[in-house]
Amino acid sequence: MGNIVEIRWHGRGGQGAWTASELLARAAISEGKYIQSFPEFGPERMGAPIRAFTRISEEPINLHCTVYNPHVVVVLDPTLIKTVPIADGVRPNGAIVVNTKEGPAELRQKLGQVNAKIWTVPATEIALNIIGRPITNTAMLGATMRAVGLVNLQSIEAAVKERFPPQIADKNIAVVKKAYEEARCE
Amino acid sequence: MSPEKRGWKDIPLAGVCWVPSTEYLTGDWKTFKPVRDLDKCTRCLLCAIYCPDGAIKWNPEKEDLEFNYDFCKGCGICANECPVKAIEMAVE
Repeated sequence: MGNIVEIRWHGRGGQGAWTASELLARAAISEGKYIQSFPEFGPERMGAPIRAFTRISEEPINLHCTVYNPHVVVVLDPTLIKTVPIADGVRPNGAIVVNTKEGPAELRQKLGQVNAKIWTVPATEIALNIIGRPITNTAMLGATMRAVGLVNLQSIEAAVKERFPPQIADKNIAVVKKAYEEARCE
Repeated sequence: MSPEKRGWKDIPLAGVCWVPSTEYLTGDWKTFKPVRDLDKCTRCLLCAIYCPDGAIKWNPEKEDLEFNYDFCKGCGICANECPVKAIEMAVE
């Protein structure tokens, strides 16, 4: 079971963390990988902090517990940094991908001692410019692909096309690409 | 909720929230905030009635409206309902 990649998504209800997890999982399925994707809700309402998890593996996954030590943490909302312990349990040399206007160095100062690579992307800005709504899931998906790879960008595009009606899918694919380009690391 | 973790022994009976909603600022994650055009505003108070978070109050001392951005979630209902379109949603 050594080659399971675990991802934790932090978002707020309505931002699409759960959908992002599912899109990544579907993209991985299309590449013949084994996956798990599950959400964890607190209060089920718009704006409440939620978490979602994805597991990706080349072999069948026999693990059925929650994700305690993710390789990758993705944060869809910049205001979560001060309310939720986002860096909890991240594996050494893992990656943290955050939606923020700040650079990776500034973010590292805020997070304190973190043994992971930090990536940032202004996802809210990208989503507002292209979709017109502050829904950051596909932008963060693009940035995550840049940070850790995992699946091909084409597979993500196909998953987005399958999930959304054509017009919305096109905009979201544009968001994925833009975020992929704009993601920054230290 | 507060980031500190509590064991089951420390949680109040029935899981009652230990931070009152007046202290737990629910409006810190908005993307848009309402900005009022003071010249256009007629102080009709429709926005205060429609606000789902009670974040718009009449301040009798100033004889004017006040937005409470600690609790405003930036939903934009006030801007939508304003009969004179005096409220604009600005990116925070």
